[in-house]
Amino acid sequence: MSSYPLQCSVSNSDGTLLFLVVKSTILAFKQQKGEFEQAGRWTDTLFETDSQQDGVKKLKSNKGEAVKKADSPAVGSAFSLQIRNLTLTPDESKLIACADSDKSVLVFEIDYNNPECLKLVKRQPFPKRPNAIAIGDDGDTIAIADKFGDVHQMSISGQVLASGEESQPILGHVSMLTDIIMAKDSAGHRFVITSDRDEHIKISHYPQCFIVDKWLFGHKQFISSMCCPSWNSSLLFSAGGDDSIYAWDWKKGTQLSQFNYSGLIKPYLTNAHLAAERFQNDEKDVIEYAVSKVVSSSNAHCVAFFVEATKCIVLLDVCPETGSLTLMEIIEFPSNVVSLSEANDEFIVTLDTHSSGNGRLVEFVTREADTGLFKVNIPKCQTFEKALAAALKNENQVGSNATDLYPLYNTISLKKHGEHYS
Amino acid sequence: MKTKPLSQDPGSKRYAYRVNKEENRKELKHVKIDENSVAQKNGKLDLPKKKFYRQRAHSNPFSDHQLDYPASPDEMDWSKLYPHFYDQETGKMAKQVTIADIGCGFGGLMVDLSPEFPDELILGMEIRVQVTNYVEDRIIALRSNHAKEEGYQNINVLRGNAMKFLPNFFHKGQLSKMFFCFPDPHFKQRKHKARIITNTLLSEYAYVLKEGGVVYTITDVEDLHHWMVKHLEEHPLFERLSESWENEDKCVSIMRNATEEGKKVERKRGDKFVACFRRVQTPEII
Repeated sequence: MSSYPLQCSVSNSDGTLLFLVVKSTILAFKQQKGEFEQAGRWTDTLFETDSQQDGVKKLKSNKGEAVKKADSPAVGSAFSLQIRNLTLTPDESKLIACADSDKSVLVFEIDYNNPECLKLVKRQPFPKRPNAIAIGDDGDTIAIADKFGDVHQMSISGQVLASGEESQPILGHVSMLTDIIMAKDSAGHRFVITSDRDEHIKISHYPQCFIVDKWLFGHKQFISSMCCPSWNSSLLFSAGGDDSIYAWDWKKGTQLSQFNYSGLIKPYLTNAHLAAERFQNDEKDVIEYAVSKVVSSSNAHCVAFFVEATKCIVLLDVCPETGSLTLMEIIEFPSNVVSLSEANDEFIVTLDTHSSGNGRLVEFVTREADTGLFKVNIPKCQTFEKALAAALKNENQVGSNATDLYPLYNTISLKKHGEHYS
Repeated sequence: MKTKPLSQDPGSKRYAYRVNKEENRKELKHVKIDENSVAQKNGKLDLPKKKFYRQRAHSNPFSDHQLDYPASPDEMDWSKLYPHFYDQETGKMAKQVTIADIGCGFGGLMVDLSPEFPDELILGMEIRVQVTNYVEDRIIALRSNHAKEEGYQNINVLRGNAMKFLPNFFHKGQLSKMFFCFPDPHFKQRKHKARIITNTLLSEYAYVLKEGGVVYTITDVEDLHHWMVKHLEEHPLFERLSESWENEDKCVSIMRNATEEGKKVERKRGDKFVACFRRVQTPEII
């Protein structure tokens, strides 16, 4: 029996406050004098009451009521991750998250002095499940990209809209949205960058979202993740089902480079990467893999990514002028990587210890000042693990049922197989 | 593209017809049909018969269809669709597509627009395979039968999902006219996002349309008409054209009378609702 993995993390910029998600609970940790202690905990009680129905796909009737689909077990993303997209506002006074239980965006006030630092101040449900969020430069506007392809916006401080008054989307794709970024060019013009399950990255003006600036063409497969580094505002990195990481100058609309990782990832692929039965060939050796997440470092000219269900993260060196990508290092872990986030040149990696049976749940990868290389910060990991173990003492343990862990490995399910002929 | 059995019964007339036409299509689809090649064969091609191309009327625009589309507009090879407008020496197209018929159905509108706009390239997009095949066969036959005067060289059809992949085909501001004729009404409220005119999709149509370009809509479903008008009117990049403009525009009269759906409505003495909108100048970016 090992603990359920932490599926998402975010840290403040000086690393003193860390938020993690385990199932439907958000845990907050404070670092003081080198020691971590639990600073808050919030559990989505809506999920608890809903959990009896888990695993049953629901349909919406024409009157808008939820109807259980008879005898059909849910497949794919219908097993929900419960809480996703942890994001801190730029002033680090609020934490934003998305709850799958009622498809809502959650706003927490962070009170650093209170022993329970998380205070839910807003819960705004949306008609479709939010898949990704981005915070605008005013620190108050959030753009929410949903599973149905629409982008809604919401003010953090504004009133909660009642269920009747639906907000109109500000832009949309006819495809599931996978990531969203709010960006600014040197002239001060603002943009929304959205990526989808088809191969599209669309750049729209903001707040004039009805004016599409351009598309970035080049991906051959779905896109799962994008990031813009803070040290070069015209650079954009994107990745997903393709076996390359793409670097773009999104302002000019040009592709700067591609980094093909298919060779280096081969040793890390396992039977878990064999394609599903119905997509297999006669030899049963079709493998499918995808990048789950790509993040950039705050100061170092570097991006990190990981391929779903592998035990490593890959760090790439970025030439800030040309955007070309070269391999810097591969950092291996004892178990599969589940999530990756970054704060102040430190990568926070959460692991699925269920895949190996033991080991730490969270690893901190910090940059060594003298060599510029990234290394696992073992003392920090060990101190944190103690605090985490205390916090997770009463948490549900993960059973032997593999479907419990399925929601951690669903990026590849975005892959299109062109099943519909006519 | 993977081929699937065209019919459940290989002994059927429809099966035989489709196989025959498919071979014909493979041979003639991308060939430059001119007077000489037709004269050698010395035969008139029959126009295709609709009864062999029956397919259910609706298609789910959200499905993962097996589609062919270019990775970007630069990668689209138009020479195969409009061989008469391809310059062998420079390797370039003499013209770009400027008129698009989205959901062109059986292609009636394009066939009537073709002689009216001989210098413009017209593209029909249709999501249903059999209907696309019908239009291809129709164009092959028309080109062959009018080889002498080089007729119908400026129209062609693509099987595709315009709601998803329109920007893969066209550059910013490339189109001057877009037609939406008798679109699927998607009556249920839950299906409204599947409609071809939504406020979010209109931003993409505005991207491929040049300033001053026109969106034409026609439907026999009054609710859908009001829906399309409402969304186009609400969109900052479109303004409605007047009734007198509609009455003078030749495309409107062709649209009213040419399309198969239009003729069907005529036979049933139903109403037809027309609304046209101009793509206004892009406002200053704030």
